[in-house]
Amino acid sequence: MKIRIRKRYLFYILAFSSAIIAALVSGLDTISQFYIPDPLALGVACFMFGVIISIIFSLFFSIKIKGKTIGQKTVDPSFQGARLLRKQELKYQLLAGGGNAVMTIGYFLLLSITGGNVSVVLPFSQVVIMYLVVIESFDEKDTPTLIEIQSAVIVTFGAILGSLAVTGGINQNFIQTLLVVFLIINPGWVLLSIYQRKLKLLKFKDRPNDAINIRLWNVIFACLITSIIVIAYDIFSVSDHFMQGLVGAFKNYFWVGLMAVGTFFNFIFYIRALGIGKASTTQAVKASTIVFSIPVAILMGCLGFTAPFTSNPIEIILKIMGIILIMLGIMTYAFTLTKAYIFIHVKPGYSVDEMVKKLWKIKGVNRVTAVAGHYDIIMKIRTRTLVKGYERILRKVEEVPGIDRYRWQSVLKEWEDI
Amino acid sequence: MISAYILINMKPGNSEKAITEMRKIENIVKISIVAGEYDIVVRAQVKSLDKLLKVTDNLQMIDGILKTTTQVIEKEMTS
Repeated sequence: MKIRIRKRYLFYILAFSSAIIAALVSGLDTISQFYIPDPLALGVACFMFGVIISIIFSLFFSIKIKGKTIGQKTVDPSFQGARLLRKQELKYQLLAGGGNAVMTIGYFLLLSITGGNVSVVLPFSQVVIMYLVVIESFDEKDTPTLIEIQSAVIVTFGAILGSLAVTGGINQNFIQTLLVVFLIINPGWVLLSIYQRKLKLLKFKDRPNDAINIRLWNVIFACLITSIIVIAYDIFSVSDHFMQGLVGAFKNYFWVGLMAVGTFFNFIFYIRALGIGKASTTQAVKASTIVFSIPVAILMGCLGFTAPFTSNPIEIILKIMGIILIMLGIMTYAFTLTKAYIFIHVKPGYSVDEMVKKLWKIKGVNRVTAVAGHYDIIMKIRTRTLVKGYERILRKVEEVPGIDRYRWQSVLKEWEDI
Repeated sequence: MISAYILINMKPGNSEKAITEMRKIENIVKISIVAGEYDIVVRAQVKSLDKLLKVTDNLQMIDGILKTTTQVIEKEMTS
């Protein structure tokens, strides 16, 4: 018997799993930074191990047992085995890999400007949720509604409050560092998540694309691009960050390897979540990493890898406020989505094929199917409020010529095979 | 692959039990409880029309289901 769960639950399970793993990885990141202090070398080390680990896991997951791959049975039901890059994927992978590399380099730039003290500016990378909301509002199919914008703002502010350090002090390059966050790191992250989502939504022979191959190729592209940038930097500045990275990676293979394993699964779950929800919603749920990383930060402080966790009462109050805002925002996303079917009878003399195309252009329409039977067309729509469902969707449906009668059926609860 | 929507009318009563039964049927990929003319919309994905018949037969066996209307999908646009 197959497991059938509610799709909404699956989305939150995947996004929260990704966030929890990301929080654990942040701890490993601290340890690796302790052993490989040079940020450029650490970047090279991470990507090198990222590629190795991704190849090992992809091959392991490709092993078939009773006709199904291990990956298919465990982490992604769409996984058919490791494969070469497909032609349609190339452009998206270049952009996603480029985004990943740009984001990483931006982070290193930030480290070098601030001298390692990024806790004051890095929280502003959470504003990426708002970038995604803005980009989605230009996209026909993904226009965010008022509630989504509200939730995005609430989560963003919560994330900033939750991760802001008041004890770090603001250095004189504050504006410069903020520019790095807003103009380099955030756009890099936007590229990465938008194009990973596009890759996940691609279909080959009616089968959805799988997260394992997407991650494998993304890390290969990001590693290539980062290596080229670091080698070029080494040549111009006569330094040896690249070699240091390689040496550092093999000296500290345990921690760097563990980090690469964590990052691999972090992205597998994140990419699968992206395939179900919008990029901004996925990113907002992912912001809960901040909540999960607090115990990790306390542990790292206790083990002596970083300064002990803050005891400043103002900072603790800010963190609590931040956590409450993040949770509230995520809950608003989770409980406000309404879905409905619209069953349509077409008048004689109109082409159903043409009408399907016209109906598909309406925003908020998730699926349009031409059917044989009692009705002629069945549509599935998604809306945050019934008012918008009427104003934005139903009224537009009525304007399409050729509709004889229609019936609206609100979905109350749903289960789905994923 | 053939996909179809099966629209279901239920007798008032123990719908929770009927849905539990429905979730066990092979080849059903989605079950939505709806409000309106129908009570449940099921989406089935099968290899042949024979298999579709099996799905509708299995549905008809469930206590509480009054009537099923099958709509075979001819063309689909989806995001």
